Amino acid sequence: MVIKNPKINVSALSLYYDSKQALKNISIDIPSNRVTAFIGPSGCGKSTFLRTLNRMNDLIDGVRITGDVIIDGVNIYEKNLDVVNLRKRVGMVFQKSNLFPKSIYENIVFGSRINGIRDKKKLDEIVERTCNQAAIWEEVKDRLNENALSLSGGQQQRLCIARALAIEPDIILMDEPASALDPISTAKIEELIFDLKKNYTIVIVTHNMQQAARVSDFTAFFYIGELIEYDKTSKIFTKPSIKKTEDYITGRFG
Amino acid sequence: MERHFEQQLEKLKTRLIKMCSLVDEQVELAFRSIEEGNVELANLVIERDNKVDKYDIKIDKICQKLLALAQPVAGDLRLIMSALTMNSNLERMGDIAVNVAKKAEYFKEKPEFYSRVNFSELAAAAKDSVHTSIDAFIDFNAELAKKVMKSDTSIDEMTRQRSNLLIAIMKENPDVIEPAIKLYSMMYQIERLGDHSTNIAETVYFIVEAQLIKHRYEEIFFTQEQQEDEDD
Repeated sequence: MVIKNPKINVSALSLYYDSKQALKNISIDIPSNRVTAFIGPSGCGKSTFLRTLNRMNDLIDGVRITGDVIIDGVNIYEKNLDVVNLRKRVGMVFQKSNLFPKSIYENIVFGSRINGIRDKKKLDEIVERTCNQAAIWEEVKDRLNENALSLSGGQQQRLCIARALAIEPDIILMDEPASALDPISTAKIEELIFDLKKNYTIVIVTHNMQQAARVSDFTAFFYIGELIEYDKTSKIFTKPSIKKTEDYITGRFG
Repeated sequence: MERHFEQQLEKLKTRLIKMCSLVDEQVELAFRSIEEGNVELANLVIERDNKVDKYDIKIDKICQKLLALAQPVAGDLRLIMSALTMNSNLERMGDIAVNVAKKAEYFKEKPEFYSRVNFSELAAAAKDSVHTSIDAFIDFNAELAKKVMKSDTSIDEMTRQRSNLLIAIMKENPDVIEPAIKLYSMMYQIERLGDHSTNIAETVYFIVEAQLIKHRYEEIFFTQEQQEDEDD
């Protein structure tokens, strides 16, 4: 499958935790303004791979990475690359919401303040815009000064998405963003992902195959550190080319 | 350990195979009842149709449950989708067998023109088509499925020739219009058997090759093969 003008181009990427190889020679092109899902059994490397896309693995001792990750033409593993700047462009949402014990408002503007935005009017605009984008504005607009941790799990997760959007990234990485949520909150997150792809490139790791099928345009199947198959989601779930993929998605192993 | 889902899928396959065998036998017996003028046999076919209907309902229920509860994908999804299509085609074939059997009493005494029309040859071709489509399903054999699709054109042609002949016979002798019309309508029912077999064959092809070919198998296969022959 050929992806024209990929947003992210990964070639021959390998990752080692000390001597153990966790990712084996991964090459993949991730398209712009689409949702790409990574699926695979636990320990297959999908989350590790997701984290290589904004260099989150840099923080782990003993990690060694070879190969290239090129985002908008720039190799993000270049020596002098500004990692903080990279993470501004490649935002991330985790499995469990990780809000600060601060107000809803302060959570959203935290990054913007660090980036030197002081103008109250501008900060207000950011809060309203991102809360609208994250489909949570109606629920929080009258309680922006309340502690963010008083929100429900589903609301906290959408607030995390709003916070990620506040620093105006191009790419949003999501690691199991709905796995701890009830079906209604999950549906809201999925709708949101669907809307967000108009403006962002989204990469999502999920254990829930039906979720991958519902929200993504492209699906990559990982197994023991290898990228086994990557194709349009509609193809992966109706006519996968590789038997291992079919065995996994039909629940015969994994 | 085999998962519950796989057991259910096996159950679905077994039910379908049993339904196939029953319908195959119903078609066979229905034709025999006409050929032999055997009303008893015809009644047996008519009575057993409710067994076919029961399979129809059971299979629909299993499919509905599997779709709702297991959210199948890929090969599993194709099998369940196909089971639904096969089910309704098999049920229709069963109804045709009954319609044919219902004529056994009428054709106990064969009209003079019966042998001229060579009804037996058409019946044999339709039976063969039904039987082969069922074999293709049981073995998941895409090649056999293609054979069924090919044979449908000749069944259509055989029916067309016979209907022209029957029209000529009726024109020759208006006294035989009633039996001729009855034979004429039965023939078209039999022609439908070929169509249902083709539908089953297309379904088998979908299960095995993951390619939807209905309404365009002629274009997909036969022009391709013709091209290959020409290239040779």
